[in-house]
Amino acid sequence: MVSSFCWSCLTRLPTPRPLLSAPATIPRAASAAASFHTSTARAFPMPTKKSRSLDSGPKYRQAKSARMKKKKPTDKPRPPPIGERKALRKRIVLSNPNALEVEGMQDFDADTMVDSHLHGDVLGLPVTMLDQLRAVQAFKPKQGWSIFRRPGTVVRRETLEMGRLFDRISGDGADKGKVVKKIVTGPKGSGKTVHMLQAMAMAFTKNWVVFSVPDAQELTLAHTGYAPLSDEQPDLYVQKDSTAALLSRTAIANQAVLKDLRVSQNHPALKTPVKEGTTLEDLTKMGIRDPALAWPVFEALWTELSATSPAAGFEKSFKPRPPMLVTVDGLAHWMKNSEYLNMESKPIHAHDLVFVRHFLSLLKSGSQNPTLPNGGLLLYSTSASNKPSLPTFEVALEQLEARQAGVNPSSAEFPQPKAYSNPDPRVLEIANVSKPASAKEGPVEVQTLGGLSREEARGFLEYFARSGLLRERISDEMVSEKWTLAGNGVIGELEKLGKRLRVAAQ
Amino acid sequence: MVFLLGVNFPERSLVKKSLESFFGIGHNTSSRLLARFYIHPTCKVGELANKQVLDITAALSDMKIENDLRRSVLDNIKRLKETGTYRGRRHALGLPVRGQRTRSQIQNAVKLNRIDRRL
Repeated sequence: MVSSFCWSCLTRLPTPRPLLSAPATIPRAASAAASFHTSTARAFPMPTKKSRSLDSGPKYRQAKSARMKKKKPTDKPRPPPIGERKALRKRIVLSNPNALEVEGMQDFDADTMVDSHLHGDVLGLPVTMLDQLRAVQAFKPKQGWSIFRRPGTVVRRETLEMGRLFDRISGDGADKGKVVKKIVTGPKGSGKTVHMLQAMAMAFTKNWVVFSVPDAQELTLAHTGYAPLSDEQPDLYVQKDSTAALLSRTAIANQAVLKDLRVSQNHPALKTPVKEGTTLEDLTKMGIRDPALAWPVFEALWTELSATSPAAGFEKSFKPRPPMLVTVDGLAHWMKNSEYLNMESKPIHAHDLVFVRHFLSLLKSGSQNPTLPNGGLLLYSTSASNKPSLPTFEVALEQLEARQAGVNPSSAEFPQPKAYSNPDPRVLEIANVSKPASAKEGPVEVQTLGGLSREEARGFLEYFARSGLLRERISDEMVSEKWTLAGNGVIGELEKLGKRLRVAAQ
Repeated sequence: MVFLLGVNFPERSLVKKSLESFFGIGHNTSSRLLARFYIHPTCKVGELANKQVLDITAALSDMKIENDLRRSVLDNIKRLKETGTYRGRRHALGLPVRGQRTRSQIQNAVKLNRIDRRL
């Protein structure tokens, strides 16, 4: 029989425990017997038990529960100066000196924006234009501009289409002076805001006038002052500070265009008559300096820019007005009650704010003249990440899409709000657009931005690789994998993937 | 510094909060006051126009707030006591007034219910 343990390592076996071991500790009393201490333990007073008030039971009308000690107030550190935290939150960094310079990257200009050879490439935004784009707040703080050497955007199919549209509207062809109206929608991260940035960049290259509302929510959040427009129209409200801010954005971004144009109309709404020969830049600055005048000045500026011929007495210095680009980001916030309250403490509908009303009225078709007589583009986008729940607005968008697809509004397929859902009639009115009277004006279209195509995704990922962010060989499989992971090429998700993968997976 | 009803408020403080510092004005009343004079809820005292300051002061002086309100509350308690009602007696004894049990948890009543209640 084989022994159960190995003979060679017997020595390493644990020594058997002694059966009768001496006690590990010798009782202290035995060792202390020899000491010469004479004082006994009794000489010390017995420790008395602390008497607690709760042991004796609560006194008459006293709480039984333990009293909590109040903490001493600690010295708070001084808060940072006013405006510093907001400035930090809204800071936009457009350059990263650690990123590699992408060699051979072309700039955005009149030729490259329509060049279909560049489809899928990343075009850099010209350095001279950055100040203008910053002024209209085209860049948003959460976008990833700060990881690249210089800001650039992908030329996707929609970009090229838009470039051609800009060419046609500014050119001398049949579409000269056309008005195109678009509501841009799409899933989160699909590049709606950057699409508008590209539109603004194109408008600046073509010397258009750009009006931009970078965040529609700011107008309905009740964070700026408001007042009734006039005694005749007490149900309309004017936001003079927001209007002054819009004027200041417009004045800085379009300075080059506005300083060449001169006043050509009479403006009785302005208290001080505008002198002949005043540039539109000076007119705008009047509203910025005095916010009380901001709304009349904005109206005056709008009349000036949509003028097709001068009024009597102003013929001398009239120049044809350029087309206009109007962008609004986060349109859905204008389709509900605002946070402002009227005199009876009832919420004011966003459509009752004159600022909002003006920009929404542009979506409607003009009676005889187009809404923008000198042509232009309206680009209103929804936001998917900051989206109020508005079933009526969703139905309105569906209705617009159905009209676009040629569905008859009286047919059964035409989307209708749910029964008993109490839809907002003023929002449904947006979708109820009549056919434009003028041939120069297009109806409102809904443009849905989706994911990039694989070729565009490849160009985008190559841009990451060439900037030194993505250390991986850009192969077809790799692009295909990332394209799929990004939900069929949603550009925001692709950017996350491009930023995250820093080391090659070997 | 801006005076509202004779009280000085620093310019950086919110109008809503400043109004709520008056005895008798809470969230509801202050919101209604702001809406009445077209002042947005995040407005600072320094941003108020002169006319708005005057309007607010005029509206506040018409309202029963601060000492007037305190006095009327005390008068009400006193009246209850003098007419010999149960509620008046409970106020005087420092016991709960509205039928709560008194076996435990009546500290607030002990603390607050007096004839000359501190407000």
